[in-house]
Amino acid sequence: QSYFLFLRFLVVLNFVSFLLIAAFVIIPSIVFRSVGSNLANSTGNEFSKLHFNMSWEFCHLDLHLYPPPIHSMGTAARVAVATGGSAVGNYSMIVFTGWDFGCLGDRATRLKQKNIHYRLQVDLEEESRNKRAAALTLCQKIVLYSLRIFMGFVAFGLIIGAFYGIFEATNFSQKMSEEQGILGLIIEYLPSIVITAGNFMVPLLCDQIALVERYSPSTTIIVALLRAVFLRLVSLGVILFTLWSQITCEGNTSSGDCELCQYSHRVYPCWETRVGQEMYKLTLFDFLINIAVLVLVEFPLMCLYCVFVCVRMLWLGRQEFVVPSNVLGLVYGQTVVWTGALFCPLLPLINTIKFFILFYSKKITLFNNCRPALKTFRSTTSTFFFLVVLLFGWGLATRSVSPCPHRIHPSMGCGPFRFFPTMWSIVPTSFYNLSKTTQEFLFFIGSQAFSIPLFALSCVVMCYFIALASVYGKSVALLRAQLKLVSCWH
Amino acid sequence: MGNKQTIFTDEQLDAYQDCTFFTRKEILRLHGRYHELAPHLVPMDYTNDPDCKLPLALIVNMPELKENPFRNRIVESFSEDGMGNLSFNEFVDMFSVLSETAPRELKAIYAFKIYDFNVDNYLCKEDLEKTLNRLTKEELTPEEVDLVCEKTIEEADLDGDNKLSFADFENMISRAPDFLSTFHIRI
Repeated sequence: QSYFLFLRFLVVLNFVSFLLIAAFVIIPSIVFRSVGSNLANSTGNEFSKLHFNMSWEFCHLDLHLYPPPIHSMGTAARVAVATGGSAVGNYSMIVFTGWDFGCLGDRATRLKQKNIHYRLQVDLEEESRNKRAAALTLCQKIVLYSLRIFMGFVAFGLIIGAFYGIFEATNFSQKMSEEQGILGLIIEYLPSIVITAGNFMVPLLCDQIALVERYSPSTTIIVALLRAVFLRLVSLGVILFTLWSQITCEGNTSSGDCELCQYSHRVYPCWETRVGQEMYKLTLFDFLINIAVLVLVEFPLMCLYCVFVCVRMLWLGRQEFVVPSNVLGLVYGQTVVWTGALFCPLLPLINTIKFFILFYSKKITLFNNCRPALKTFRSTTSTFFFLVVLLFGWGLATRSVSPCPHRIHPSMGCGPFRFFPTMWSIVPTSFYNLSKTTQEFLFFIGSQAFSIPLFALSCVVMCYFIALASVYGKSVALLRAQLKLVSCWH
Repeated sequence: MGNKQTIFTDEQLDAYQDCTFFTRKEILRLHGRYHELAPHLVPMDYTNDPDCKLPLALIVNMPELKENPFRNRIVESFSEDGMGNLSFNEFVDMFSVLSETAPRELKAIYAFKIYDFNVDNYLCKEDLEKTLNRLTKEELTPEEVDLVCEKTIEEADLDGDNKLSFADFENMISRAPDFLSTFHIRI
C-alpha cells in the first residue's frame, strides 16, 4: 500500500511540474512560433526579450520542485522519531497491535495470520542467531569477518564492472549514431539495455553473495537495498559523466574539437537535444521493459498456475510483489526525469503518463497474479526511507545538471540560449532589463546591509530551535526514567 | 428533510449522538443492522425502550465479525452480563468504540478487556497464550508460544509482577503508531 501511495505522490509531482513548465515555456514557445514568421522583422527585439525571460524560467523551474517532498519527509520523520526506537516493545507490538480488526473475508484473515506468524518467527530466529553469534570462538569470528570483507569487495567489483560496461556502451552508442534501421535502433538504445541488464543481474549476484556473508536477515535486507540504490543512481551518473566528457572533450575546452565554441561542435551541433534524447530514451525503455515484464512473464505464469494444478507444487510459486525493488525503479525513473527536464521540457508529461499507466497495470498484476511477499516491509518507516532515497536521487540530478548553466557553452545551433556564452548569463541580462526601482530593491537585498543581519537572524532562529529540540528530548528521557522509577516502587 | 421516522424519539437520538461517536443517520442504520439479525425478536419501535437482548451466537455471525478470531471476546466485553447478550445500546457502544473517531484511551480500555480472557483485570501468561494462539491459528510450537509470551511480558511489564496491568498495557499502546488504525471496524 505504501508503494502505491508513493507512486501516486510521484504522479502528482510530475504533473504539477509539467503544468508549470508548460505554462512558462511551451505555450509561449508555440504561440511565438506560429506568429514568429510575421513579426520577425519589426518586433525582433521584443521577441528576443520575451524569449530571454522564458528561457530564464525554463532554467530554474525544475530545480525548485522539491519543497513538497521535503515537507512530507519532515512529517514522516516526526512520526518516526515520536514513536521512539522501534526496537523496544517489538513482541508486544506484534501481539497486541498486529491484528487488523477491520480484516474481512476468509482469505484476508488467513493471510494476516500467516503474516503475524512469519513476523514472530523472524524475530525468534533473530534471537537465536544473536545467541549463536555470541557463542562463536575467536577463530571463527576472524574467518567470518574476513569472508564478509572479501565478499564486500567482490560485490563492489561487480558494481564497478557494471559501470564500466555502461561507460563503454554509451561511448559506442554515441560514436555509431549514424547507423540506420534495426541495428541503428539497437545501438541507440544500447546504454538503456546495458543498464537494465545490469540492474537485473547485479542484484541477483549480490543475493548469492549475501548467502555466503551470513549477516542477520534485517542487515541482509539493508545491505542489499543500499547496494541496489548505489547501482541504479550512480549508473545514471556514469551516463551523464560519459556524455559530458564527450561533449566537452573531457573538460579540456581548448583542445582540438572544442577550441572554437568550447564544446565539441562537430559531433554535437545541438548537445542539449542530445542529452535530452538520451534521458528520453532511458525513460521510454524503462517503461517498455516494465510493461514487457508484466505481460510476458507474470501473465503466462498466472495462466500456467490456473491451468495446471501440478504447477502449484513447483518451487516457482506465484510471483511475489517485492516492494523495495519496485520503489527503486520508481526513484530511478524520477531521477532520470529530473536530469532531463532541463533539456527536454516534455519529459515530465511523458513521465506522468508513464507512471499513470504503470500504477494501473501494477495494480492489476498485484491483485491477479501475485501473492503478497511474506517478508513485509515496515510501513511506518518505509515512507521516510522512500523519501530519503528520492532526495538522494534529486541531489544527484541537481549535482549533474548544475554545472551546465555555468560552465558549458550552450549550443550555437539550437535552443533558447544560443546567444549567450553560458546559460547563467541570461540572469544578469534579464536583470538589467527590469525597471530601475526593482533593480535597486534587488541590489539592496543582495547587499551586505541586508544579508548580514538576515544571516545573523536565521542563525539565532536556528539556535533557538535546536535548543528547544534538545530540551524536549531531555524532558522525554526524564519522564521515561521517572515512569520506570515510579512503577518499580509499587 | 422531513423524514419522519418512528423508531426513536428525538430525545433518544440526541442522547445516542452525545454518548457515541455516531451521527443520527448512522444510528438509524445500525438499528437496521440490529433488526435484521433477528427480525422477529427486535421491535421496530424503540420509543418506549424495550428490553431486548440478542444472544452471542447471532451477533458473531455478522460479516464484520465472522472472521475475527477475537469475536467472542469482543462481544462479551461489551455485554453487561459478560455472557455476550447485547442490547441495542451495548451494540451501538461496541461499534462506536471500534469506529474511526473513538479516542485512543477509550480503545485501549476495551482492547485490554478483550485480551483479558479470564477477566481478572490483568493480562497474565495464559491470556497472552490464548491471544497468540488465536493470532497465529495455533501454528507456532508450544516453545515458541512460551518464548513470545515471556518476551512480551518482559517488554511491557513495568511493575515486575509478571503480568500486565492496565497501566502497563496503556503505556505500551501509547508507543504503538498502528494501534488506532488496526483497532477499527468499519460498519
